[in-house]
This record gives sequence, structure tokens and C-alpha cells, in this order.
Amino acid sequence: MAFASDLDQITRAAAGDAAAVRALVSRYSPGVLSLATRMLGDRAEAEDVTQETFIRAWKALGSWEPRAKFSTWLHRVALNLCYDRLRKRREIFPDELPDHADTALGPQDTLDQAQRVKAVEAAISRLPERQSAALTLCALQGHSQNEAAEIMDVSVEALESLLARARRTLRGELLEGRNAS
Amino acid sequence: MTYSMTDARLIELIETWGADPASWPEADKAEGKALLGAHPERFAEPIAQARQLDLMLGALPEPEMTAALAQAIMDAAPQPKRAGGSLSRWIDLRTPWAPASGLAAAAFGLLMGLTVAPAASADDDVTAEVQELLVSALGFDPANYAVEDVE
Repeated sequence: MAFASDLDQITRAAAGDAAAVRALVSRYSPGVLSLATRMLGDRAEAEDVTQETFIRAWKALGSWEPRAKFSTWLHRVALNLCYDRLRKRREIFPDELPDHADTALGPQDTLDQAQRVKAVEAAISRLPERQSAALTLCALQGHSQNEAAEIMDVSVEALESLLARARRTLRGELLEGRNAS
Repeated sequence: MTYSMTDARLIELIETWGADPASWPEADKAEGKALLGAHPERFAEPIAQARQLDLMLGALPEPEMTAALAQAIMDAAPQPKRAGGSLSRWIDLRTPWAPASGLAAAAFGLLMGLTVAPAASADDDVTAEVQELLVSALGFDPANYAVEDVE
């Protein structure tokens, strides 16, 4: 149903219908911003990526062909923009690694909620980018297996492998040390 | 019924997709739930660990869209196209009576000027040319509405 309603709104948005534009932005921009924020760990950069994603979408609306769901296409564009930025970061700061020591979790009762959130976000930001993308799309945004695989342009098996590795790493960093202490 | 779910595959599902069967792939969901329901003790530890991680991930705040960002995105959206060429930009099609009424007023003014304008005389303060212009512009001859006519 959402797919059919997307098509109608895309057609109207392409003709400059402000209500259809508003509906598309309201429906999809939070997800795009969330993906970019998790991938980049930087609010300002995530906003830039969100804006750029929609600018590309507006340019493509006129010739839109519904080969994929609009949301899948949007997330894929956003993800590729994030990959580009992460790649540029590595070129500019090749030796810089995310800080590890100050975000590791200690005993559960000594952590408040804010510290825990910070530790989890830091652990996600240390994941390899494709693992981070798989985790964000599936575990945080609730995309289906097929949808996430399509967004990432990988097979379902590859997606499951990326997600398994991401969760194993997080488990090791966030839970096993804590449970041992 | 073909039952292909194994303990190893179920543990893999739990560790990969989380403790909640709702998040497992559709193809594995029914069989996974059945095995878990039949032998919960075998999967208690992976379920507990997965649940802890799920809770941590679920507690992450969603970044909020600001009104400024939404507006910037909408400002870059396609604008309505105007139909037709440059003439249609001058003639607003939503009020087609406007240019038509202007043309009618001009034609009426010209007609009135030609048919009811009094002949010019040497006593007139204005020249014939000026009067003609006045009649055309107003669409009627003010001389016809002189005070004595009303009486």
C-alpha cells in the first residue's frame, strides 16, 4: 500500500505539488537522517547527507521508474553518500581511530543511561562501515532482511554475515566485559 | 511436515537477529519459534545475551529532524511548472475575464469616442485631439454627463 501511495505522491511531487513533497519529506527524512547519523556519528554531516539525498531524489523524480521502493532507493543513496564521506575521512586522517578507552562499559550499576548510550554509539562507530550499515538498517531501523540487502546492494547471506559479525563485536565489547566484572 | 531447524541455526538466528522472533527472517520464523518453544532451556543463555544487546540498541535515541532541515529540503523540491509560453505568464489563466474585460473596455471607449463625441468648436478649451484622447481613455464622453442634462 505504501508503495502505491509513494508512486502517487512521487508523481505529484515531480509536478511541484507542495503537499506531496511535504508528505515524502515527512515520511522518509527521519529514517535517512537516522541512518546518516549512525553511520557518520556527526550530526552536521548527517544533516548534509540528508539534504543531499533529497536533492538527488528531487532531480530524479521526473524520470522516476519504480524498479525499487522509493524508501529503498533513498536509503541506498544516503548510504553511498555516507560511504563516500567515510572514505574521504580515511584519506585525510588515515591513522585516526575512534576513541576506545573512555567509552568502554564498566559495571552496570555504575553507568547511567547517558553513559550507556554513549558507549553503545561509540562501539557502533568503531564497526567496519558495512557492518555498521547492516546493524543500523536491521537492528535499529527495522528494515526487513530483503530490504536491507537491497539497500546495501548485497545478497541476503552477505547481509546476515555482516549483521552477525556486528552483533558479535558489540556483544564482546558491551556485554562480555561487563558480565565478567 | 519438514523440520529443518537445528539448534545451531536457531542460536545463529538469535545472535544475528536478536531475541525477539518477530525480527527473525520470515523463512526461519515459524520453525525457529517452534524449536524455541519446545526447548527453551537450551537457548536460555543466547536469548538472555541477545535481549541485553537488544535493550541497549533499543535505548539509542532517534535523531530528530529540525524544522530548518525539513524546510531546506522542501525548498529544493521541484516547483510547479507554468503551462504555455511567455504570453501565458502575462495573462493569468485563473482570471481569464481580466484581459477580456480590459479589451472590451478599450473597444467600448473607442466606439463611444467615435459616435457620441460632440463636434469641436472654436470656443472649446481643449482641442479636438485632446478630447478624442480623453473619450478613448475614459470610455465615455464627460460632455454627455453635464449638469444641465441631469436636470
